[in-house]
Amino acid sequence: MRRRDFLMGVPGLLHGQAGGGLGFRLMDVTKQAGIEFVHNSGAFGKKYLPETLGPGCAFFDYDGDGWQDILLVNSMDWPGQKRKRSTPALYRNNRNGTFTDVTKQAGLDIEMYGLGVAVGDYNNDGHPDVFISCLGQSRLFQNTGRGTFIDVTAKSGLSGHDGFSTSAMWVDYDRDGLLDLFVTNYVRWTREGDIFCSFDGKIKSYCTPEAYRGATCWLFRNKGDGTFEDVTAKAGLLDTTSKSLGVALLDYGNDGWPDLFVANDTQPNKLYRNQKDGTFSEVAVRAGLAFSEDGRARAGMGVDVADLENSGLSSIIVTNFDNEMMGLYRGTKSGAFVDHAPKAGIGQATRRSLGFGCFFFDADLDGQLDLLIVNGHIDESISRARHDVTYAQPPHLFLNEGSGRFRDVAKLAGQEFSTPKVARGAAYGDFDNDGDLDVLITTNNGPAYLYRNDVTDGNRSVRVRLTGTKSNRDAIGAVVKFEAGELSGMRTVKSGSSYLSQSELPVTIGLGRREAVDKLVVMWPSGRTEEYRGLKAGRRYEVVEGKGITS
Amino acid sequence: MPPRTPTLIQLVGLGVTLGAVGVFSWFTLGQLSGLKRLGSDIVDRNRRDSLQLIRIQSNLTELGLAMRDMAEGTEPYPLTGYKPEFDRIKGDLEDALRIEARLMPATRTSAQQKLLEDAFGRFWGETSELWELAAEGKDKEAKALIRTRLEAERATMTTVIARLLVQNNEAEAAAVEEIQGIHSKVERNLYVLLAAVLAAIAITGVLVIWHDRRMFEQVSQLSEHRKDLAGKIITVQEDVFRTLARELHDEFGQVLTALGMMLMRIEKKLPEGTDGRADLKEVREIANHTLERVRGMSQMLHPPVLDDYGLEKSIEWYLRQFEKQTGLKVRYEKIGIGPWIGDSVAIHAYRILQESLNNVVRHARVNEAWVRVRYAPDRFEMEVEDHGPGLPETLPAPGLGLIGMRERAEMLKGSIEFTRPPEGGTKVSLSVPLVKTGDPA
Repeated sequence: MRRRDFLMGVPGLLHGQAGGGLGFRLMDVTKQAGIEFVHNSGAFGKKYLPETLGPGCAFFDYDGDGWQDILLVNSMDWPGQKRKRSTPALYRNNRNGTFTDVTKQAGLDIEMYGLGVAVGDYNNDGHPDVFISCLGQSRLFQNTGRGTFIDVTAKSGLSGHDGFSTSAMWVDYDRDGLLDLFVTNYVRWTREGDIFCSFDGKIKSYCTPEAYRGATCWLFRNKGDGTFEDVTAKAGLLDTTSKSLGVALLDYGNDGWPDLFVANDTQPNKLYRNQKDGTFSEVAVRAGLAFSEDGRARAGMGVDVADLENSGLSSIIVTNFDNEMMGLYRGTKSGAFVDHAPKAGIGQATRRSLGFGCFFFDADLDGQLDLLIVNGHIDESISRARHDVTYAQPPHLFLNEGSGRFRDVAKLAGQEFSTPKVARGAAYGDFDNDGDLDVLITTNNGPAYLYRNDVTDGNRSVRVRLTGTKSNRDAIGAVVKFEAGELSGMRTVKSGSSYLSQSELPVTIGLGRREAVDKLVVMWPSGRTEEYRGLKAGRRYEVVEGKGITS
Repeated sequence: MPPRTPTLIQLVGLGVTLGAVGVFSWFTLGQLSGLKRLGSDIVDRNRRDSLQLIRIQSNLTELGLAMRDMAEGTEPYPLTGYKPEFDRIKGDLEDALRIEARLMPATRTSAQQKLLEDAFGRFWGETSELWELAAEGKDKEAKALIRTRLEAERATMTTVIARLLVQNNEAEAAAVEEIQGIHSKVERNLYVLLAAVLAAIAITGVLVIWHDRRMFEQVSQLSEHRKDLAGKIITVQEDVFRTLARELHDEFGQVLTALGMMLMRIEKKLPEGTDGRADLKEVREIANHTLERVRGMSQMLHPPVLDDYGLEKSIEWYLRQFEKQTGLKVRYEKIGIGPWIGDSVAIHAYRILQESLNNVVRHARVNEAWVRVRYAPDRFEMEVEDHGPGLPETLPAPGLGLIGMRERAEMLKGSIEFTRPPEGGTKVSLSVPLVKTGDPA
């Protein structure tokens, strides 16, 4: 035990009674919340590659009542192997800790081989719309504002794009105030062209993507009339070698223009830098993000970006395969990223984990961003081939200890939380409006889990929901900078990130025991900057671009 | 012929051994450094070069896939949409080619390198043509270009790279073989060295042993000779002494006795008080005195008491004589009853006693000495001790007396020791085995 670990361990021991001394607990409230969703991968023994990937999940307020609702993506049985009907599930927040399954009423009880989800108000009507990425044709559902959704895939011009679409992200890449849609695709896979892969040469196992040809990601530009234009090639994003699973928004050059980071599985990751003229240039190799530090392309899955040190430099987490360690790329002033995971205490801790969903969030509301990673192998027979790796794997919850170091406290955060799972999607959102961030996790061919965060040591937060007027209405891409006493930080409103999933859009600023955010600066995607003062802890604020705090 | 010293042989053997080790070490080090050079220069470099070739090959494959996508028209994008992908791959390819050119093995011919460069040059040239066609919307021509010339060029490049890879592999295999050859050579040399060192050690050892044995034999032979000689000298000396003693006693004694008797007879015939009678008496006294001297000398040369009464009585007789002549007090102790110890043993023991006591008188400057004799059935022991200054630590030159005593003790197959008693001085201890029948030989 090193001296610092020892010293840091002491307060933990002193507060040993409550939540392992963490000051918060993650309680499994799935059942009591009434969430009964079980993912159907359609697996029937043939081990088709898409079966292992889903599903994603989302926290979003579809009915605009100020309470986060839940969307869980589902896959379905394969044609010819029909056993049951399976659809995505929309759970409306009953504002009392429980949810009601409103899938049918909402018009989302549609069978599709869904994988991921991205939520964004693409038509700026104040009602968040839903894009579900699918194997085959992905779907865009427009929110009518009356509690229902209508499938506008064809109408919006998104049809004719059969793919193996995974993560998706709403982003206003051309800063015209309209959300555009970025969709990652995995590989070119068809049932007919399925390849036999095996760990032992006898029994079929799920293939790694090496077996298949890559597929390009797509960028759809929002034309503002309810339709989209495929600008993949025009924007310089056509790349048929990538095998993409995760995408995240970042501002690489701090120039106010959204850049894109794409996590690729067994292929180099891509960093598309916005050229501000509707095109992107790929700079991942130069930026040190394409490969691991030893020059290998790892199995990138989920991804998230955050400014961990309020330095104006982004850090990027990329979840990878077991035996690869997660990548925690830390930005440097030169523009090159360095994989900091081993030093940060994340590398060794994640060596045996096959990570998928991941995000930075302030779990204990101390003002520092912590990191959640959910894990699970792709093949249930893995323990037969590898004795140190299991199919179901516990999640990691890395608490930010400051000075660039993290400590895995998943076990301390709750026994129910740390049980091994075959997890895929992960999202955060404050579903009970108590000011802290709750966690939603999906598992492959299994149930979804809702963990309520109970902050027990009195830490509080300020929650801010931004509404753009000139900017896109969801204010995706807006940067919020805050100062509270000596504490300062930066949060971004974003879609995408994690894996196949979307977290809530409101920004949560953990304050610890502090009473207020002294200064809040909002940098809207339109370029406008607004400044607010004296936001009180424990409250939720609505900020409208150009109008200020409205409630 | 004087015996050859083995030192030379030993030195030669040592030299051969050291030389063999040195030569082998030098040789082995040379071989090993060659191995290292081969390892790093050829194998490692080759491998790094191969990695770059594989990177190039992978890029070419990627290009091929993109070109296939373009030609098949599977994606709903204009052909120009692929340009960024091409540019990216081109960037990586050029980087790989640059590094590869730095690492390329010596076996690469300039013709091969030129072939490679030309193929890439042609390919990128035709690619620009492709983008021109694509930009003009001449998709059909562009696709035809891909299917025909571009694909052909790509195939050529792939073939060239594959051949270079094979060449690298062959070079590597050759290097590995060479390394193995060096390994076995070093191994063989090690065995040769071991055999040489062992042989050198064995030969040197055998030679040294053989010489030692010869030297030892010569030394012991010499020692025997010397012993024989010394024994003979002593025996001859004793014989001479005895003969001389007998002659003196028998011949001169008889003559002088007769002379004395005749002189006495003549004297009696002369009237008393005459000058003639007085002169005659004087002559007769001279004759008597001479007789006494002759007898005394005879006894000194070989006391007849030895032959007549044996050692025990001779010692006692001699000690009395010695005390009388020198005035030295001899404290005599005797344990056991002396058996008959005849002449051949007795004379030597007697001479040792004589020499020891003479030494006491000559060097000890004391007035007391101890003589202890012990008779056992099979052994005779004698000690002569004085408490004078003792023998000097280092004798200037070993006196003939001491050597004579040793020779005599050896002739008797006994032992003699010269020690310093606790009180100081000298103790001579003689121990002689006796043959049971009495006289030893």
